[in-house]
Order: sequence, then C-alpha cells, then structure tokens
Amino acid sequence: MSGAESTAAVAIDAGDLPMGGGLLALLRPALQLLEPGGVLAVNSLRDGLQDDLSVWCKVQRHEYLGHDPATGADASTTTRHLLRRGNLSIAQGHRETDMRLASQDGRLSAEQVLSAVPMPQDADATSGFAPRGAQVEPGGPRYPFDLVNRDHVAPPEVARLYDQAVESQWDANRDIAWDQLPSHDPDLERALDQVFTFLAENELSALYVPSQFVARIHPAYAEVAMFLSTQMADEARHIDVFLKRARSGGGGLGVSSATTSQSLLTLLELTDFTEAAFLLSVLGEGTFLDLLRFIEDHAPDEVTADIVRRARNDETRHVHFGQVHVRHALAHDTSLYQRLENAVRRRATAMAGAGGVPDALQDGLTILAAGSTSPPAVARGHDAFRELLDEMHRNRTKRLEHAGFTSEQAQTLSELHTPNFM
Amino acid sequence: MAADETILLGAVAYDPKVVAIWEGIRDYFNDSGAPFDFVLFSNYERQVTALLAGHVDIAWNTPLAHVRVQHHTQGKSLSLGMRDSDQDFHSRLIVRTDSGIQGPGDLAGKTLAVGSRDSTQARILPLHFLKQAGADLDEVTLLPFDTDVGKHGDTGTSEIDVLEALRNGDAQAGTIGDLIWVLEQTAGHIDTGLIQSVWTSPGFDHCMFDALPDLDAAKIERFTMALFAMTWDNPAHRRLLELEGLKEWMPPREEGYESLRAAVEDQSYPI
Repeated sequence: MSGAESTAAVAIDAGDLPMGGGLLALLRPALQLLEPGGVLAVNSLRDGLQDDLSVWCKVQRHEYLGHDPATGADASTTTRHLLRRGNLSIAQGHRETDMRLASQDGRLSAEQVLSAVPMPQDADATSGFAPRGAQVEPGGPRYPFDLVNRDHVAPPEVARLYDQAVESQWDANRDIAWDQLPSHDPDLERALDQVFTFLAENELSALYVPSQFVARIHPAYAEVAMFLSTQMADEARHIDVFLKRARSGGGGLGVSSATTSQSLLTLLELTDFTEAAFLLSVLGEGTFLDLLRFIEDHAPDEVTADIVRRARNDETRHVHFGQVHVRHALAHDTSLYQRLENAVRRRATAMAGAGGVPDALQDGLTILAAGSTSPPAVARGHDAFRELLDEMHRNRTKRLEHAGFTSEQAQTLSELHTPNFM
Repeated sequence: MAADETILLGAVAYDPKVVAIWEGIRDYFNDSGAPFDFVLFSNYERQVTALLAGHVDIAWNTPLAHVRVQHHTQGKSLSLGMRDSDQDFHSRLIVRTDSGIQGPGDLAGKTLAVGSRDSTQARILPLHFLKQAGADLDEVTLLPFDTDVGKHGDTGTSEIDVLEALRNGDAQAGTIGDLIWVLEQTAGHIDTGLIQSVWTSPGFDHCMFDALPDLDAAKIERFTMALFAMTWDNPAHRRLLELEGLKEWMPPREEGYESLRAAVEDQSYPI
C-alpha cells in the first residue's frame, strides 16, 4: 500500500465484527461521511475480512485499497483495511446536521419543522416521496405528480393552517351531547332531517373532490397534502355527525335531489386544482358558512346548534385555505382570473335548466326557520329563507372581491353560482 | 433497416426477471439505432448449440458455456463484453464453526456440500482449487445439490442449499461463490457464530457475450456501442443494470477463464 493511499480521512474501530454480524452498520454510515474518493480506514481484529470487504466494495462500486497491520496498542492483532469511496449513488445535497428545533411552551408545530427547509419553486420529479431536505440518491424513478409548482399549489401559510386544523379536531362520537337531544314536532324533525341529508350529501362530495388532488401534489409541498387530509378528515366527521343527527330524532334521511347530484358532479369532474379550490372552497364552502349559520340561528335545540356550529368552524378553515390558495395563485398568474371566471361560466352552463334551490331543501329550511307549520310562522320562515339567499350572495361577492376580482366581476360570478349552494 | 440486420441474442431463462431484462435491453438497443431481438433458452447447452449452428448472433453465456464455445470454435469465437461484476469472482470454503476445519487441509473425513454439477463457482472450480490447495478429495464425502442443472448455477439455488446444509448440520463444510456469501451476509441471513468462511479461492471470471468469428462486423459495432453506452446514472438504464446485477459493462478479457479450462480438463468434464 502506498503512502498516499494510506491516508484515511475517517477511521472506524470495527472490533472483531464480521461482515454479516454488524460491521456494515458501522462501515456504511462512515463511508457516507466521505466525499467520493475519500478514504476510510477500518481497524479490525477479524481474520480474513479483506476477502469479504473486497467483494462488498466491488458490488457497491467502492475501491478496496488493501490492508496492513495497524499501529498502536493493539497493533499485534489489528488489521487496518482501507476503502476508497466510489462515485456511484452519491445522494444529492448535504446531509442535515445541527438541526435543533426549539419547542415553544412545550410545543413543536408542523410549521416549525416544515419551514426548516423552504418549499422549492419547482419540484424535482425524481425525488419521489423523499421528505423535503433529505438527501436523494440519483437514479430514482420519475413520479407522476403533476402539481409541481409552488405558486400554483402552495400558499406560504399552509403549514400554519395545518397546525390550526389539527388543534381543532373534535369527535362526533364523544363531543356531542347526544343524550340531550330533545324530541320535536314530527313536521319540524322531518324538515331538519331533510336539511341534514342535504348537508351529508354535499360533504361527501367535499371529501371526494380534494382527495383527487392529494395524490397529484408533489411531496415537496407535503403541507398542502397534509392540510387537505385534515379537510378530508373534517368532511368525514361532518358526514358522520350529520347522518347521526338525521337518524337520532325519530325520523331519518330525506331526499337527494337531481339538482344537487348534477351540481356535485360538476365539482367532481374538475381536473384543475386551483379551479377546484375556487369552486369548492371559496364559492361552495363559503356559501355553506351562511347556510350553517342560518341552521344554527334557527336550530330548535342546543345539540343541533352545536353540531352545525362545530361544522362551520371547520368549514371556515377550508374557506380560508381556498382563499389564500387562490389569492396566492392569482398573484403569480394574472391569466388565472379569466380561467376561474370561465370555470364558473362553464359550470353555470352545465347547470342550466336545473332550476333553483332544490325543492326539498327549500321546504326544509323554510319550516326550520318557521319553527312550526302554522301559516304565520311559515310566512316568517319563507322570509328568512329569502334573506338567506340575499345574505349568501352578499357574502359571496365579498369573498370574490377579497380574492381580487372587481366588484362587477364579483357580482356576476356570484349570480352564476350554483343554486345548490355547493 | 433490413430484417437480417437485427442482432439476435440468446439468453437463458433462469428466472422470470430475464424477460424484463431483455425486453428492456431490446427496447433500449432499438431506440439506440441497434436493431435487436432476443430468444430465450431453457438451458445453456441448447443455447451453445444454437450459437454454434448460427441460429443466434450472440449468446449471453456462463463461464462454462463460454469455455465450451471456445472449445468448439478452436478458440476463434469472439468475446464481446462482460459485467463489472463478472470479473474477479472467487469461491469460498464455508464451514461450521464447530467443525474444527481451518482450511482445505482439514477436510479429510468430513462432509463437503457442493452446488450443482454445472455450477462454476459452487462445484467445478472450488473442487479444482481445493485440490490444488492440498485437499485430499478422495477422503471427503461430497453432498451435492444438483438443482437447476442446465442453468450453470445462475439461479444460486444450489448455493443456498449448501448454506442450509451447513446450518442444519448435514455437512461440516461447503463451497459457494463469494458473491452469494457477501450478499447473504449483507441481507442478514448468515449467523456468523454458526458458519464462517475459512478459505478463498484464486480469482476467476464469470459471464461473457459470445459470438462466432464470422459475425457481421457492423452488428458487432452496433451491439458494443449501444452496450457500453449504458450508464448507472441514467434511471432507465439503471433499472436494467440493477436487474442484471451490474453497474458497468466491461470489455472482455480471457485470462479469467484459464482455471476453468484446466478444471474441465482435469475433471474430464463433458465439454
């Protein structure tokens, strides 16, 4: 062995570990610390290790340089093997070191851990499911993710929204005072059951629509997929709690209307992530905030009010994410205004002839607001329903203006919104 | 391009992955301007016969098949390339640690598990080299594992059988190739307290692309150019290279087969 070859950058004490008995767990990480061409010394008490090491080096494309007796206290029995790191399969980037996230009040947020490495402008198709910041070996396969641009996918505050969502999870089994649900007049209960049937159906679509985008989002923007997973968990809980409410008061599920079905199909068929966020979250779930508020205000008991209040809190997060997503995308791509407007118009065309708010829902909301079936009460309920539609339009217009549309555009788009609310 | 310009390669189907390997290489060669197709044989004897009869242009051969082709062409066959992993193979003498065997000289009176009769690394060459190293094989009881005969040890099955015979005590010693020995250790399959390697044979080389001396020079050029252009850092190539067990194709060399030629003669192996 020449003098130049015998200069090792790193040395490990391998004791008498055989290759098949743990040696590799010391050897491989030590090699990882070297640049290609760097030399590792393995001081070993094991006879004949050179034959195994030379084969292993050949298989792994490292170079086995040779061995000689080591110097030092155990020089009589220790053999020093020298390995030169090969230049294949070198992971890209630098290994993270000295990461020491500081908890605040004993808490460590997802925002903290994910922001340790910023989201890239464009994602690398070959990094697969590697967590952002991990070293990636070359030669991995290309993944079919097609949402690979930060400006179209990932608003900067998404990790914070994820933290808030996780913090706000509740349990439809344990957290609702089901044993305190009172009985109501059968006509009023039937109206409530119809409203909750409608809500459950719409929340099913709100579960399915984002699920189609999760698998398309590049894991470099994992926080977006993570937030959407909380949104989907929210929707699953809403479906659960709405069905429970409809089946706990002596009635049961009502009608699913063709208008609702048509409207939800137009959502499910969306293939553009930003268009879906706009139509589902900004316009659809935004409108649902007013609907849930209306149900809460007119709920005939505290259990029912609690259910829709909790659901509305969750939906508020979804609307907020939709708004920041769309606003972020619009800020980077002004052609998006026209695309979003076109998406609303296309949907309105697909919904042409579908009529107004589904009959059964209209009737359910009217009786709910009336509180009874006495004609004077129903007249008040009908007025309340009309006011709800106006309120929805006003708030939708505000959200559109907030997203960056002119008030004229916002008026038009709000009027074109589906009569199904979602 | 005329059909007869297609390079027709023979390979032995020792594993289902062989189909994926050669279909991938076929597509790569065709995309690289080297029209290519392949046929699969069930054993190397049939493949060598087909090569000698001119039914295929190139055969992807084990060392035993390579030596056989050279024998039947009076040494005039063409060697076109090999894997990096084919160079400097060794056989190992693996023993039970409770057997007291320290090397080839301790084998007398013991049972030696060996691989298939046509396995270069687990039978033919280790017996040849052990004899040279002083083992009296007439005093050794052989426990042969003649599995997958015709595949020339490609499947590795007989080497795994040898290791199993050592584990369960059917043999005190056994011979296998060093690649299997290291890969089995790397995979965590070896109890190093129970069995260990006590001897390593001299080096020898493994597989080779063989052709008859009259193969069209243009085909040879297209074949070797496309072959040596494959690189590990190209993900599409890497998948094929990983499947075939190499990181780089190498130019041929002949000296690594001298010992096998001698062993075949010494053992009167039918060639």
